[in-house]
Amino acid sequence: MRLFSTDHKVVARQFLWAGLGFLLLGGLLALLIRWQWAYPGRPVPGLGWVLPESGGALTPPTYTGVFTMHGLLMVFFAIAPLLIGALGNFVIPLAVGARGMAFPRLTALSFWVFAAGGVLVLASFGVRLGTASAAWTSYPPLSTHVFTPGVGQTLVMLGVVCAAVSSFLGAVNYVVTVVRCRAPGMTWGRLPLTVWGLFLTSVLNLLFIPVVAAATGMLLLDRLTGTRFFLEGAAVVGGGDPLLYQHLFWLFGHPEVYILILPGWGMIGDFVAFFSRRPAHGYRGTVVAMSTVSALSGLVYAHHLFTSGLSPMLGRAFMTLTLVISLPSTVMFLNWMMTVWRGSVRLTAPMLAAVGAMGVFGLGGVTGLALGAVATDIPLHGTMWVVGHFHLTMGAASFLAVFAGLYFWFPKMFGRTLHAGWAKAHVLTSAVLFIAVFGGQLLTGYAGQLRRLYDPYQYTFLKHLLELNQWTSFAAFALGLAQGIFLVNLAWSLRKGPAADANPWQVGTLEWTCAPSPPPEDNYARVPVVVRGPHELSQPEGHERLGRDWIGQAELLPGEASRAAEGAEEPGSQVPSAGGAA
Amino acid sequence: MQEASGSSAAEAPRAVGTLGLPEDASAHGHRIDSLLALSHRFDFVLATVMLGWLVLMLWRFRGARRVAADGGTQRSRALVMVAALIIFGVVDGTLFARSLGYLDEVLWNFTEPVGNPNTVRLEVNARQWAWEVRYAGQDGRFATADDVVTWSELRVPVGVPVWVQLTSTDVVHGLALPNFRVKLDAVPGRVNQTWFQAAREGTWEVACYQHCGTSHYKMRGTLKVMAPEDYAAWLREASRQAARGHDDSDAPAHWGWEWRPAP
Repeated sequence: MRLFSTDHKVVARQFLWAGLGFLLLGGLLALLIRWQWAYPGRPVPGLGWVLPESGGALTPPTYTGVFTMHGLLMVFFAIAPLLIGALGNFVIPLAVGARGMAFPRLTALSFWVFAAGGVLVLASFGVRLGTASAAWTSYPPLSTHVFTPGVGQTLVMLGVVCAAVSSFLGAVNYVVTVVRCRAPGMTWGRLPLTVWGLFLTSVLNLLFIPVVAAATGMLLLDRLTGTRFFLEGAAVVGGGDPLLYQHLFWLFGHPEVYILILPGWGMIGDFVAFFSRRPAHGYRGTVVAMSTVSALSGLVYAHHLFTSGLSPMLGRAFMTLTLVISLPSTVMFLNWMMTVWRGSVRLTAPMLAAVGAMGVFGLGGVTGLALGAVATDIPLHGTMWVVGHFHLTMGAASFLAVFAGLYFWFPKMFGRTLHAGWAKAHVLTSAVLFIAVFGGQLLTGYAGQLRRLYDPYQYTFLKHLLELNQWTSFAAFALGLAQGIFLVNLAWSLRKGPAADANPWQVGTLEWTCAPSPPPEDNYARVPVVVRGPHELSQPEGHERLGRDWIGQAELLPGEASRAAEGAEEPGSQVPSAGGAA
Repeated sequence: MQEASGSSAAEAPRAVGTLGLPEDASAHGHRIDSLLALSHRFDFVLATVMLGWLVLMLWRFRGARRVAADGGTQRSRALVMVAALIIFGVVDGTLFARSLGYLDEVLWNFTEPVGNPNTVRLEVNARQWAWEVRYAGQDGRFATADDVVTWSELRVPVGVPVWVQLTSTDVVHGLALPNFRVKLDAVPGRVNQTWFQAAREGTWEVACYQHCGTSHYKMRGTLKVMAPEDYAAWLREASRQAARGHDDSDAPAHWGWEWRPAP
């Protein structure tokens, strides 16, 4: 594996390792927060060497750095690189039948810009005054040099700009690849839903990443060059407007939650079809629903600002739009449900992860309704209810989608098979514990516990929540430990896993039917000619003429004349498969 | 529980196991609470149906011999649309309509505090990490020598509208009165407005809900709801002392502003 490879499959693996590393770090920071809420101010076992002055206990300044970096790392350096960088880079060219990305060097560049951002962020932990501490939202004036003077905040903001540039470069590449590099016959209506999800995510990245880059860039100018875009109050004379930043941030921030879940939605759509052995129910409706959500995603953001003194006119408008976005989401969700209905369910690890993602996403969705209406948002705004809600959607659901995708494509990525039992155990325990942890957070939030409090029990009206918080923390520690199952499985499978078949899941998409596991550097010996959709499962003609329940996207049935573009190569790019694993 | 003004919710923790909303001590909060309770019933029904149906399906169709080979019939696709529209109409529609009712009649309806002659006006200035509260004093005007200022202790009379104008000196803070269903951002350079009405006497907690730095968690205040005559007596005396102790050269203490018109 060359370090500066332009092969999308190599870059995907680089994103995978980097993303898993940051996921581990972000997860450990989350456990520190949970420790603090269970045992406020008590030394964390084994942390004495990191925090010698407090004997391993979190102090208020350390704590603010911990929760700030938990959020930033998870959003920009864990979920995005895993779901979009790793799975997106790996799947898109293969699934559309391309020999590589449209711009191979851009692929490599997007990783190395990301890596530079990661280095900056890691370096911020070692500087004087510590890392960033103004929350992941970095609201000014708190995040300016006046109130957070440390160089750590600057390094992290630069790291975020790097991650943004990386996402933007990746998005350009993905969009052009999907639009221009599809194999002959791969119409928009034959794209796997995963590709649709990744494509829509990339479009949103193209539109909204520049907004966060602008907001962060202006903040950096305030910090470094003495401008006053966002400074106001006693610290300055004739300042700018802190609220401008909040609008810019959430104009990006709300689409971002869709950016982080659309690839997962796509995968869920594909996997429930694959593992119910039938075509996706209402493919076209699901695509329209996903596209509608994407289109609306930039028009709902101000529900994050319902208590900011927003004008009633905007409040009404954003409440309406926010509630409207639940309609296409419901259509999509019901289509997934209807796919399983009257199918033949196979409880493989990717299927369990996809169903788990559906479950936690559904719970996250319904708990968000009350946040979308201004009146009910007031008691819940800024509480742990919000934390539980968005962790279910963009935390738990995205996490399970990452593992659904990883368990599904692992044989294709590495040419080896994971231990199926351990993979299922990992997915199931994670899903159950996610519901326990974030369910506990919803309950404390409903009872009024505010977010980001170093010691919530300073408040008398929150004192009685200590016990519930402790139970929630125990579930979180168990969730952390459960990831050991994955790590052991991964380490074992990479070295000792049985060689993977070309098509272990017995599905028809191009990467499984036209390329061996793992695929060669240029993916396809001959560019496949696509003749059918991605979910041709349990079709009568397949049973009759092929004796199996799946038909490859580029596979011609015996006696079937080529329906593909004129002058295309001979069909028969199908790779033989012994089939039947998992 | 909250009968005498001496008793205090801010000092008596509730029993473990009560996981409802913080106790409501306001005149209008019950409308939010009942809507929220309704929305939780919706949540509960939707979540139960969804998870139950999902698990049932996985069990029922696991390894089934017969498979529908289509991507949905016209009828099943129409069913999805109808089901989605019904859920949307009932759940979102109710939330929307009732939320709008509260906004139009209470939250955004400033005719109540403007029109009521007994309305109490407060200017609140948030700073790291305290709430400065300014009362107009005997002359009824702000930014004058007899203004009363308290630190992290709000005092209001029971049973009359309390009209709050809020800003911040340094960073963004958030004024939360959990027992009165009030939340409003304090943004430097802006004056935000809201109003509420206390229904009962007692002492309640004031919290900051926007991360505002290292000691954010300590930005706690109290809200003392007093009998109107007690409040009037306190304000009279405090105002007299304030006028006597007024120091014209102490510029940072003069953060008050001329009362702004309703938004």
